[in-house]
Amino acid sequence: MLKRFLVLAAFAPLSLWAQEDLMAELEQADANKTEYAFATWKGTKVVNLQTNELPGKGVLQYTILHRFGAFNDDFFYNFMGLDNAQVRLTLDYSPTSWLNVGLGHTGFRKTYDVFAKYRLLRQSKGARKMPVSVTGFSSAYYSAIRVSDGVDRTFGRRMSYVHELVIARKFSQNFSAQIVPTLIHSNLTNRAADNNTQIAVGIAARYKITPMHAITVEYVPVLNPNQYPDLSADPLALPMNVPFSNFTNALSVGIDIETGGHVFQLFVTNARGVAEPYAFTQTDGSWLDGDLHFGFNISRVFTVSN
Amino acid sequence: MKKLVLLLFIGASFMSQAQKVSTRSGFVKFFSDAPVEDITAENNQVSSILNLEDGSFAFLVPIKAFQFEKALMQEHFNENYMESGKFPSASFKGSIADYTKIDLSKDAKYTLQFKGTMTVHGESQEITKEVILVVKGGKVSVQAEFLLKCSDYGIEIPTAKKDNISNEISVTVKFEYA
Repeated sequence: MLKRFLVLAAFAPLSLWAQEDLMAELEQADANKTEYAFATWKGTKVVNLQTNELPGKGVLQYTILHRFGAFNDDFFYNFMGLDNAQVRLTLDYSPTSWLNVGLGHTGFRKTYDVFAKYRLLRQSKGARKMPVSVTGFSSAYYSAIRVSDGVDRTFGRRMSYVHELVIARKFSQNFSAQIVPTLIHSNLTNRAADNNTQIAVGIAARYKITPMHAITVEYVPVLNPNQYPDLSADPLALPMNVPFSNFTNALSVGIDIETGGHVFQLFVTNARGVAEPYAFTQTDGSWLDGDLHFGFNISRVFTVSN
Repeated sequence: MKKLVLLLFIGASFMSQAQKVSTRSGFVKFFSDAPVEDITAENNQVSSILNLEDGSFAFLVPIKAFQFEKALMQEHFNENYMESGKFPSASFKGSIADYTKIDLSKDAKYTLQFKGTMTVHGESQEITKEVILVVKGGKVSVQAEFLLKCSDYGIEIPTAKKDNISNEISVTVKFEYA
């Protein structure tokens, strides 16, 4: 009898253990899968820098980017800067999950551009481990502005190019950061002494404060900045007496707001030329002088094919 | 006698091993019916185990494997609602109620109840729902359709999205065991 009881006693925990076991077995199998990071950023841009994100396959994206007039430039007279806003429009499409191509127009210097964005690596854990996502971005800009300074603007002289290599990591659900080695090349520069090719190393981070809102910050230091004639000290100086100053690095702080198919990005930046080459290398305003611009990027996506 | 106990012991655990059926490609679908839009998503990577000996039953649903019609919907589902970075899977662990061992040699259809703990978005609820168990050609499959409430599992739907996402989600599960 005792022995029979022993047998029963031995079985009872076994059957309990068996149920725990079912779950453990399922979880075991799950651990062998590769899990890719997603939504490292809400949008395809931070402010001026690209993010590692691409719209999904078959998605058409339309963006409207505004930079209003500076806070220190007769702000209220210019209706909070609205009267002298700079605008950029883009339309892009992702034929595959790893490639996005698009067209853009920027009011500043009447610039037209084509761009391509391509996924190189995706951050993942599980079976396949990758610490970062890497996305490339390449674009070519044609400035159609009319000039009468005697220099013949051939097609080539109107072109400039930007390449960004976005190395991003989603550290947690709320915190993501990226470093973006960037190459900017202009075929024609303002002065003979200027660098045609410039290197910048952009950095950016975001912190989500609610599921739909995130704070973003972005800084794009140029390692070999060009110079511009600086009239800020003496606006009436004769041309030969105007001192030259280094262009400033673009610093932007913003908030991302997501509502279904839209992402609204509201920010303050010292970079006014909305397109990449101008924002990165031709920003003359500085945060210290209050030469700041309110701006926004709005994106709308349409799923046009599966 | 001691040897007999040991033998029984080994025999029993061996048997329970043999009586477990499982799948790695189970199907889960959900459907939200709200005034402005209907949202549906499907998942073919659900794993499940059913113990035919005692009726204990579990399934594990990897949240990121839900496929939506729109990529952005899928991203919002994971990022804003299910927080799948924090809670990568939903699970059920429990058993089929009043289980009596089924005969695999006979094709039949049983309407039963399953009950246990459903965990979604890190929140657990005790549930009891109806399940249809089918035996065909020696293979077992289960199918269930039931409603879950977002609010029961701490999934917040912002007021602005109340017309787009229903609080009551209709869930369909289908597991064909091998």
